[in-house]
Amino acid sequence: MPGLLFLIAIFIFLAAAAIAFAGAGRDSRISRLLSLACVAGASALLLLFALIVLVTGIPESIPAWQPFPGISVTFFIDRLAAFFLVLIGAVSACVAVYCTGYVEEMEGAGRRNILCGCTALFVPAMALVVASATTISFLLFWELMAAVSFLLVMYDYADAGTTRAGIFYFVMTQLSTLFVMLGIILLFFATGSFAIAPAHVTAGSLPLVTAAFLALFVGFSVKAGIIPFHKWLPYAHPASPSPVSALMSGVMLKVAVYGLIRFLVAVFTPDLWWGMVILIAGITSAVLGVIYAIKEDDIKGLLAYSSIENIGIIFVGIGLFVIFSCTGLPMLATISLLAALFHSLNHALFKSLLFLTSGSVVHATHTRDIEQMGGLASRMPVTSALFFVGAAAIAALPPLNGFASELLVYTAFFESVTVADPLIKILLFVCLALFALTSALSAACFVKAFGSIFLARPRSQESREAREAGRAMLAGPALLAIACVVLGVFSYQILAGFGYIFPIPDLLLVSVLLLVMGALTYIILYVTASHAERTSETWGCGSLSLPASAEYTGHGFSEPIVTIFAPLYRTKKTVTKNYYDRHDCIVAGGTAEIRLVKFFEEYLYLPLARGANRAAGYVARMQNGCLDTYLLYVFLAVVAVIIFLGVTA
Amino acid sequence: MSYDFLMYGIVNTLCVVLVAPLFVSVVKKVKAWTQGRQGPSVFQTYYTIAKLLKKEVIYSPDASRISRFTPWVCMAAILVASLFVPLVYVTAPVGGIGNIILFLYLLVLARFFMALAGLDAGSTFGGMGSSREMSIAAVIEPTTIIVFAALAFVFKSLNIIDMAGIAATTGTPVTPVLILLGISLFIILIVETARIPVDNPETHLELTMIHEGMILEQSGKNLALMEYSAAIKQVILMALLINLVIPWGIATTLAPAALAAAAVLFVAKGLVLALVIGLFESSMAKMRFFRLPGLFVMAFFFSTLIIIVEVFA
Repeated sequence: MPGLLFLIAIFIFLAAAAIAFAGAGRDSRISRLLSLACVAGASALLLLFALIVLVTGIPESIPAWQPFPGISVTFFIDRLAAFFLVLIGAVSACVAVYCTGYVEEMEGAGRRNILCGCTALFVPAMALVVASATTISFLLFWELMAAVSFLLVMYDYADAGTTRAGIFYFVMTQLSTLFVMLGIILLFFATGSFAIAPAHVTAGSLPLVTAAFLALFVGFSVKAGIIPFHKWLPYAHPASPSPVSALMSGVMLKVAVYGLIRFLVAVFTPDLWWGMVILIAGITSAVLGVIYAIKEDDIKGLLAYSSIENIGIIFVGIGLFVIFSCTGLPMLATISLLAALFHSLNHALFKSLLFLTSGSVVHATHTRDIEQMGGLASRMPVTSALFFVGAAAIAALPPLNGFASELLVYTAFFESVTVADPLIKILLFVCLALFALTSALSAACFVKAFGSIFLARPRSQESREAREAGRAMLAGPALLAIACVVLGVFSYQILAGFGYIFPIPDLLLVSVLLLVMGALTYIILYVTASHAERTSETWGCGSLSLPASAEYTGHGFSEPIVTIFAPLYRTKKTVTKNYYDRHDCIVAGGTAEIRLVKFFEEYLYLPLARGANRAAGYVARMQNGCLDTYLLYVFLAVVAVIIFLGVTA
Repeated sequence: MSYDFLMYGIVNTLCVVLVAPLFVSVVKKVKAWTQGRQGPSVFQTYYTIAKLLKKEVIYSPDASRISRFTPWVCMAAILVASLFVPLVYVTAPVGGIGNIILFLYLLVLARFFMALAGLDAGSTFGGMGSSREMSIAAVIEPTTIIVFAALAFVFKSLNIIDMAGIAATTGTPVTPVLILLGISLFIILIVETARIPVDNPETHLELTMIHEGMILEQSGKNLALMEYSAAIKQVILMALLINLVIPWGIATTLAPAALAAAAVLFVAKGLVLALVIGLFESSMAKMRFFRLPGLFVMAFFFSTLIIIVEVFA
């Protein structure tokens, strides 16, 4: 019965896409609204279905379509898949609600219908990847997801920056598919089946299985944005419309996380060093992600780098899970895996919340540069409150959900002293320190983001004239904000409800205590203190009116951190001076330049791209357009085949 | 919530609130002595707070709700954090109160709001303070977490109240590891309470101030709340150091005599620690801001050393 719910949801999605595309030629507003309403409804249905499976724990199998023997498209939803379907359903529903307001404010006439239609295809594609029971259908929907998301990124195709970002995204996402495909083929050679089922490892198939894992790991890392495969995120997110960024960052990255977890749990029997690889990749992404995030002036670029950081944290959880399960600590392994899963859900919620509210801000101020914003707290009070909830959650402030999942990671780290191997212990302690650094830097990063966007005075005419977003653009994020608070405050009860009772603090008790302490202070001060209040100009060192340009901006805010971590940023400073005199005393003039080296791009991506280009040049020489040469190739091939057959026979 | 724990909460909060301003003044007094001045009375902080409560609150026209909420949030967060560190009486913790990670993040909660309030009025000084505070907090965090992990390892618990209980009942012999941890905790105390060589609590000069810069725009009862919560934060960090390293005399029953003795002992130990802090501050110069990461890296290696000694010993 619940399986039917899933199928109905998928069909509503398809209907939504058809409705939206049908209205594209006429730029029909009705078709857009109807389509988005269908997406919201279908997502809610998906959420309901997934919650049923999650709570009852009864897996759902959905009939297969078998085009060829051995190759089938089958769906199977167990608790793990259901968990990710909850994530997809919840976020997509809120994004669709937001979209109903946002789309009408956008430019682009009938293209907006295509945007709605592609969204209506994007969401079920992700859901079907998660629901896939065979590697074939996994790959099929993985590719559909990639293709549709590319179209969504290219919405503003007339803009040169978008085209560049789109191409970059397209190449990276195809690279990801390529590696996933390679992994699946290797897995097929090792096991002889396309089912997502435990691979029986024999001595002979061990190298194949290991290679399959590595290929899949790279494929999922590219999609999830793990450093050094992360470069597409900070390009694609600022270029695409905000709801698309919210879906991609909030949900699509989690589909890659799902892939990794699914293959680790259901297919492979992981080795200890796999865990170490995942852990190190995760912690590197977390630290570098947040360090890059803090210097960003583009609000969506900042959020994109922050996604890299959070995906890093999720990978840290997965890495710890593998390490602990290989060292015989099942309890800690469970905590770590739950931490990874819980953080996936939490990140999906607060990151889509942040992307949606920053979309409203960008729409109101017509800029993505936070240096041009400021003072929006009084102009957009509800949006600022919603953004604040997201910022507080991502900065891991108790009692919100970001803290709840980071607490699980910390608990796993702190308890890890029971690991026997001293070298692993050292590795874990180093990672713990770096993890703490990440968390503190992310707090600094979001103080900067919230402070520069919403506080103090507006620094541009557009920001002065900004107005609050419409109702739909507040309702969607508001739902996400409520989810962030509820999942944090009731985290202990929710985990206990699913049977996971850990020695972690009860955040409900902490929230009550916070309220009690606040109320007590308020009552005491109400009785004892003066109630007089006055408004007066900020002190400006004696000048009568302080210009907005004098206040601390985002750049100034992050300067100390940028200076402290200068070696990581790879900034190149060049100063040349010329002098009037021989002794270099009186300066005549000169130039100074500060350049940020795009480290991964200049030292990894471009050399690789040039290498590929050169290799392609050699291959191209073989194709000289001369019939004789081609006949020679055919002849050589036939000879080779004959020799090969002769030898093997 | 058990009766014992409820009593613990009430006793602990009362103690914290009552003694917090005293230690602030004592440190000031010690510093005045070393400079050859007489200094203000040891009860000066109480008088200052009482005076501030009578004054009106002044807001900037640019200030948002953040400025209005921050003093309350800071006070509430720090008061809840104070429940995590027993001062005079220790009992079995309830519902994860006392968790060392949550303790750290309650301090982060207060700091997050304080930094935003610094930016809120649009003053350059506030922004500078916020920026420096968040940077320093980020750089010291790895050290703090390693010290806390070492504590968790030494006491085999993640809960500060449990740790204090273990320290009190077993009467931990002074091991080298504990002394090293004491030094690390002292460094964290200095950094977290914004003291020399990290910050200078005495001055409002823009080149040196961090914490004072952030609360420059606060006034009246809001300023009183900020000052009070800073004082409470100092006393709970002092209590953390005192009750884990030299726990003798902490009460394990609710008998009034035991509580009174424990309170007197705690104040005595606190005065000694305040004296040490004052002398430490007087013997140092304020460090240049960008020299600080070097200091923190030293503290970090120091605490990592403890772990390595403990783990491989």
